[in-house]
Amino acid sequence: MRIANLNEAQIDALREVSNIGMGHAATALSQLLGKTVHLQVPQVLITDISKVPELLGGAEKMVVGIYLQVLGSARGNILMIFPRENAIRMLDKLLSRENTRGGLLSELEVSALKEVGNILASAYLNALGAMLKMTLIPSVPVLSFDMAGAVVDYVLVDLAEVGDLSLMVETEFFEDEEQVKGHFFLLPDPPSLQIILESIGVLHG
Amino acid sequence: MAELTIIGLSEYGFASSPGVLMTYGLGSCIGIALYDPELRMGSLAHTLLPVSHEGTQSTVKSAKFTDLAIDIMVEELVKSGCAKERLVAKLAGGASMFDSQYRSFRGDIGQRNVDSAKKTLAGHGIPLLAEDSGGDYGRTVEFHTSSGLMLIKAIQKPSKTI
Repeated sequence: MRIANLNEAQIDALREVSNIGMGHAATALSQLLGKTVHLQVPQVLITDISKVPELLGGAEKMVVGIYLQVLGSARGNILMIFPRENAIRMLDKLLSRENTRGGLLSELEVSALKEVGNILASAYLNALGAMLKMTLIPSVPVLSFDMAGAVVDYVLVDLAEVGDLSLMVETEFFEDEEQVKGHFFLLPDPPSLQIILESIGVLHG
Repeated sequence: MAELTIIGLSEYGFASSPGVLMTYGLGSCIGIALYDPELRMGSLAHTLLPVSHEGTQSTVKSAKFTDLAIDIMVEELVKSGCAKERLVAKLAGGASMFDSQYRSFRGDIGQRNVDSAKKTLAGHGIPLLAEDSGGDYGRTVEFHTSSGLMLIKAIQKPSKTI
């Protein structure tokens, strides 16, 4: 499956599938934060690999990146990006504490953010798996708090091995008062993209 | 005022003196600078993958591969009048951004990028004068063609010049 050859119906299908997955993820996050979490309409971003850091707000922007691998019938990568200030606000809510605007994240903060990543990815993949009738399992989440460019390059390795384009299904989610905002990216492995499209029934035309 | 050239992920660029070649946010990627101190001409690449394989030469962004990027930069610098035997190299990056447990999935891609660069440079007979690699943090790199110095900036770390 070549990313450049995806047709409109296939892109729509990916968007729709992701929308349902993110719906479940947003519900889970709403319960966790005790606030309603909203979703933007998902976008299927097909772009040159060199432009990906710009999509994350610029290569030097400080972000929290939570990364998981998708294992099971289809494989891929999930990356959640929270701008620094949003990650801190989310931690303030989760850990019921006063603002701590220090430099590095504490062990507890890292652990809390990974758990958020785990809950979001699990809810997303459960919904996706049920719909596609396949088993999708998230790996243990890992976290990096650094420049967006540095956080994302590792995630692009699989895509870069086979081409110069990246395909990311992106959904932005935000809590009522815009206190918490993040981006959820699904990057299917190119062979798995075919499996996913076949399962939705849009592989051919 | 030195002219500034920004190099994106999987890209490379050239500058004569005075010039600054800059690339942002290297994680497991590496920034490799080649430099001819006599002509004060240099090149910087931001590479993502350690080694090219069969058929990859045909992709547009050859510079995403560490080995191919070095080959291309050497060829272009020589074409621009640099002497291959005068070329020297510096590199930065090759971090392991996520927990070490993740290395098992793909191997330590940062370290493999650094190893591939060293092997390719050795193949060309180009000395690696200095490097700032490894760790678990991102780096932004500026290469100054007037001095041949590489300035490395990281968040939460002091800047460094190699």
